[in-house]
Amino acid sequence: MEEKFIVPQKLKLLSIGLIVIGVIAFVVGLLNDPTRAWANYLLNNFYFVSLAIGAAFFIGIQYISQAGWSAAFKRIPEAMAAYIPFAAVLFLLLIFGVHHLYEWSHDEAVATDSLIKHKSPYLNVPFFFARVIVFFALWILLTKLMRRVSLKEDEAYSLELFNKQEWLSKVFIFVVAITFSAFSVDMIMSLEVHWFSTIFAAKAFVAAFLHGASIITLIVILLHRRGYLKVLNRSHLHDFTRYMFMLAIVWGYFNFAQFMLIWYGNIPEETHFYVHRMHGVYGVLFYANIVLNWAIPFLFLMPRFSSRSRMVMVPVILLLIVGQYTELYFEIWPATVHEAKFGLIEIGMFLGFAGLFSLVVVTYLAKASLVPKNHPYLEESVQHHF
Amino acid sequence: MVGVFDNEFDLLQAFGKVKSKGLKIEEVYTPYPIHEILEGMGTKTRITHAAFFFGLFGALAVLGGMYYAAVESWPLNFGGKPFNTFPSFIVVTIVATILIVTLLTLFTFSARAKVFPGKKAEIVDIRATDDKFVMVVDASSPGYDAEELTALLKASGASDVY
Repeated sequence: MEEKFIVPQKLKLLSIGLIVIGVIAFVVGLLNDPTRAWANYLLNNFYFVSLAIGAAFFIGIQYISQAGWSAAFKRIPEAMAAYIPFAAVLFLLLIFGVHHLYEWSHDEAVATDSLIKHKSPYLNVPFFFARVIVFFALWILLTKLMRRVSLKEDEAYSLELFNKQEWLSKVFIFVVAITFSAFSVDMIMSLEVHWFSTIFAAKAFVAAFLHGASIITLIVILLHRRGYLKVLNRSHLHDFTRYMFMLAIVWGYFNFAQFMLIWYGNIPEETHFYVHRMHGVYGVLFYANIVLNWAIPFLFLMPRFSSRSRMVMVPVILLLIVGQYTELYFEIWPATVHEAKFGLIEIGMFLGFAGLFSLVVVTYLAKASLVPKNHPYLEESVQHHF
Repeated sequence: MVGVFDNEFDLLQAFGKVKSKGLKIEEVYTPYPIHEILEGMGTKTRITHAAFFFGLFGALAVLGGMYYAAVESWPLNFGGKPFNTFPSFIVVTIVATILIVTLLTLFTFSARAKVFPGKKAEIVDIRATDDKFVMVVDASSPGYDAEELTALLKASGASDVY
């Protein structure tokens, strides 16, 4: 089942063009309004690393549940997870922007604010970047090991390699549960340094898994349209939809749980997060967030015919892409830029990161056979039918 | 006409042959679901649509009921919260909607399938409740020939035909 993906020259040039646009937008942003530029930088960085982590987690879930149907498509999440090292470099560059974003990084804030002082043993610049390095080192190590075992499997059939991957998946899921939770708290929640929510990390993780799964689906559908991945059938599409449908419900549940408990408890240090975010533009985004990430996937992916139809799935995925942006914008902007600004800088930087992400994904897709060769469940995946 | 089979493959073979002859297959009883049979029987269900509308009805009814109780009929002041505490209604709505959907779908299904508590089970062949595969062919369907069908079922590997 050898299938070799050849990167279209046009796509490569387009991606590089988008990266150039992104760099220009970032430089223009830095010169005019550095806080806004760094907020964009953080948002897009977190956005695409979420997709990569979600994709890596997707592979892990397939292995520990010994799922057969997805075996033919595992190269796509693998290629997405290959973005993690690039994200690591980009996140380390955040060291230049940390003072523009995080209130706790200012010495005078630590000196005058007792709450920030209380949190400073954890929230301080050296420890913050030490954590970034440790988290990324673990993610890169585990995803690279998984990728290496997966490529080795292409050479010869071996059940040992499958068991090894299953073991690596268990380790990865355990590691990512702890590290990604701490990572999302560090990166996003600590922007509002006085605020806290115990379900925040779980919500960020589910958002990563939901949007990672939908991007996997989108790439699979696009590759199929170009004539690759001929094994794809309607049952596979239905299974991909199940992931999006189920995760949209879990996301909606967590999002509502966070909101309702804060609303009901009505404690000032918790409610100020939503008080700022329920008026004006942010008030619209609050509802848009729920509609895009929960209501639309829930209603449109529910009927059996639409859960197998590309005509329904692709628009829903495109709305989910907007949805993840909306959610991060809703969380980051009121804490950093304060005023809801959206213009060419936002669009340009998103396109820049999207270009980098797509360039990495297609390069890694082309590096190995698009369909794994000796996966023990490959035949089950090809025959998948229900 | 009832054919009893020992395994799935014989049953599928006979199923295909009987269908291609244009005979009406009344029902197939198998110890576990078989995709080819499910598709081959061509039965369609509308119970999922019914369940969706029960859910819609349930959600609106529960929300409406709580609104009536908390705002119209008996407003109480809980720590200065507004009477219409919509977010706190949602949790009850989810749970009660699940209950309403489950019960109404169960009743709809029972009514359509004509089953009720205390009904005597209609068992065509007692071995269908064990590990055997049982196929029932309608004797009134056009082109039905008892001898020919018996031979066909026997040839496909039926262990018992009557």
